[in-house]
Amino acid sequence: MNDTPVRYRMKYSKTGNLRFIGHLDTQVMFERALRRANFPLRYTQGFNKRIRLNLASALPLGFISSAEMLDFWLNLELDVEDIRQKLQNALPAEIRILELRQADNSLPSLQASLVSSEYRITLPALESPKEFKAELDKLLTQTEIPVTRRDKTINYRPLILEHELQSNPHDCFVVKLTLSSAPGANARPDDILELLGIDPADCVIERVRLNFSED
Amino acid sequence: MTGSRRDLIEKILYHVEKPGRYVGGEHNQIVKDWGSVDTKWCLIFPDIYDIGQTNLGLAMLYQILNAEKNILAERSFAPWVDMEEELRKHRIPLFSLESKKPLSGFDILGFTLPYESIYTNVLNILDLAEIPMFTSERTAEDPLVIAGGQACFNPEPVSDFFDAFVIGEGEEVILDISRVYGSWRQAKLPRLDLHLALAKLEGVYVPSFYSVSYHPEGLISEIKTNQPGVPQKITKRIVPVLPPHPTKFLVPNVEIVHDRMSVEIMRGCTRGCRFCHAGMVNRPVRQRDASVIIPTIQEAVNATGYEEVGLLSLSSSDHTEILDLTRQVYDCFHEQKLAFSLPSLRIESFSLDLMDELKELKPGGGFTLAPEAATERMRAVINKPLDDHDFYQTVTKIFEKGWRSLKLYYMIGLPTETMEDVDAILQAGIKVQQIGRKLIGKSVKIHLGIASLIPKPHTPSQWLPVHNPDSIQEKLDYLKAGTRKAGIKMSYNIPDSTLLESWLSRGDRRLNQVVFNAWQRGAKFDAWGERDNLHIWRNAFAEAEIDPDFYAYRERDLEETLPWDHINIGVSKNFLKRDYQWSQQGRTRADCRESCFMCGILDAFGEDRPADGFGYWGCP
Repeated sequence: MNDTPVRYRMKYSKTGNLRFIGHLDTQVMFERALRRANFPLRYTQGFNKRIRLNLASALPLGFISSAEMLDFWLNLELDVEDIRQKLQNALPAEIRILELRQADNSLPSLQASLVSSEYRITLPALESPKEFKAELDKLLTQTEIPVTRRDKTINYRPLILEHELQSNPHDCFVVKLTLSSAPGANARPDDILELLGIDPADCVIERVRLNFSED
Repeated sequence: MTGSRRDLIEKILYHVEKPGRYVGGEHNQIVKDWGSVDTKWCLIFPDIYDIGQTNLGLAMLYQILNAEKNILAERSFAPWVDMEEELRKHRIPLFSLESKKPLSGFDILGFTLPYESIYTNVLNILDLAEIPMFTSERTAEDPLVIAGGQACFNPEPVSDFFDAFVIGEGEEVILDISRVYGSWRQAKLPRLDLHLALAKLEGVYVPSFYSVSYHPEGLISEIKTNQPGVPQKITKRIVPVLPPHPTKFLVPNVEIVHDRMSVEIMRGCTRGCRFCHAGMVNRPVRQRDASVIIPTIQEAVNATGYEEVGLLSLSSSDHTEILDLTRQVYDCFHEQKLAFSLPSLRIESFSLDLMDELKELKPGGGFTLAPEAATERMRAVINKPLDDHDFYQTVTKIFEKGWRSLKLYYMIGLPTETMEDVDAILQAGIKVQQIGRKLIGKSVKIHLGIASLIPKPHTPSQWLPVHNPDSIQEKLDYLKAGTRKAGIKMSYNIPDSTLLESWLSRGDRRLNQVVFNAWQRGAKFDAWGERDNLHIWRNAFAEAEIDPDFYAYRERDLEETLPWDHINIGVSKNFLKRDYQWSQQGRTRADCRESCFMCGILDAFGEDRPADGFGYWGCP
């Protein structure tokens, strides 16, 4: 028996109610879905054997996404389309598989190669859109943007890689932010909204792209 | 309006801890179109999602109701305090998980009442749902509010809040209730007619049709019906044969307590421990055969992806096929790495072979035994006989098989208990520790779990007084000092935390006012114990001018009319009396599978007993 695990890489969306499901719970959800799909699963070694799977990046509670990535391993090579169908049927409807392919075992882990995340933020109807634009510009001219999270203060300015302000047909502003997601240098868009005096709960925050170093 | 309410709900979810509790969307959730059904149920477990979601009764009823084309059933739970605050602040009435519709839009609200300390949560839920709390205040526009579950065998302390109670098992009667509700609504009759039709269903108790009168000194003088055509006594409902087990369990998206699936292998218990409510009210014993259980587990694993299954019963080792069953579970599921647990193992019926199977199924971890009392005399009083020699032999085998930690459950506050009996618990713990150290070494962990007796209605203990807190505290202090010295871990309930249960479990209708007062004064989540609610309850009693000691510390007279005397569990009061007297004489009663002691269950339900081979009953 060939004991080499077969790696599969999947891109998926997470929307609706599931945006209130956190990172660890999402991981358990995938483990159970993989069990329901009845695949020849690969387990980790050790006393507490777990299904071998790997999520690229924690999606903060409340965010939706059309760009999440996941690796999982099977003991056998199966037809990719067959896996896609079975796994989709085993997943809650608010997770959609967007892409699935076999990936080489030699590739680095998703977490290790993640560089940045792109977010699309739909703002609530603003009383004064001009003022918001001015606030945003003002923020970005600063060289230091200190943000404290879990008693640790980091400078957000170098982590904000790109930004773009659009207005949509309903006169709601849409902000596109590209933020660093590298290990130890991860910025969250909701922190930036708060700095601008906007309640993230009033916005729709969608992760639309993950950028990896090998891309 | 609906759109904006939904938006508001989504907004507040950002501000609460663990919002996944409130959104539903689990795998196997059933969402039906409200236009396509006649009767809409909301099944409510009045504690938080984390506690209630895996309740097996809830899962059963959810499947049974939703299997009907013209019925839908959704779920709701008590919101945690942070969510409650948001709901109140934004004036959002409590809603269901599936459709997010307010509870007031449902036809029937079915509450699960597994224990008494959940009552204030019911009132809080009704308040959050903007539904009148008292049955007498509800109109035809309001949902029918009913309850079922183990606490409903004495529903009197909350009789004013529910239109009806299901006494006993719900699997069949829940569809009867739906049918009665449907015809009533079609006929457009007053709410009284719905109550009347419900009261005629077997196992349904409509408390407003019964009047209770009292003697001047406070005892009940009479319980009688005030409505023609309503039975004098309400006999519980049973299913003669355990129906097909649900398998399409909802799989929570957030981590919850006991996050595994449960398969009920047996219902009821023939042992007759005198303190045990479940053992008395769930007679007769019925079981599912291994040939049914194995495919059930297989189906459930396929449907859920769960990694652990609990095989539930009151006394697992009494299942007639338990050895074969555990072997088959191993053969069928070890490749899928399915962990499994088998709670409630008796010590003496516990064979070595079974232990071998278990060791293979779940390596590591701890083992739990419940001797409950440590002297032979005390074991005779509670009717849980156990030979010391057998006990220590079992303990030895457990360590020999490699378990490194052992938890032992004991009770204190038992009738006729002396310090000698209490000391025997400590000595047993020490001896078990010595055995463990010899076989395992210093690393062996012994844990004593100490509970104090709360006499429950419908048991031979129902006449007993609760021991006073000082005497319980003294015994606990003794055990604490002794276990600390010996290096044994001990856990216990502080006497205060069990008082509420001792007041409510044997309460009467006068306590409705106390429950209401307590809720109004802010009591909720009483079962959690972390919140110091006892002073609220004491004030609630004082406000109602009711002495709580009347319910806890009084020894009842055998001739007294008890508040639950009109609820018939099938086990007769005469049998319970006789067993109470045997207890006083230190006389044990054998497992009733060996010989029938005429508890009354066969008189009540014998006619429904299936023919041999069509469903096992434990009765001889």
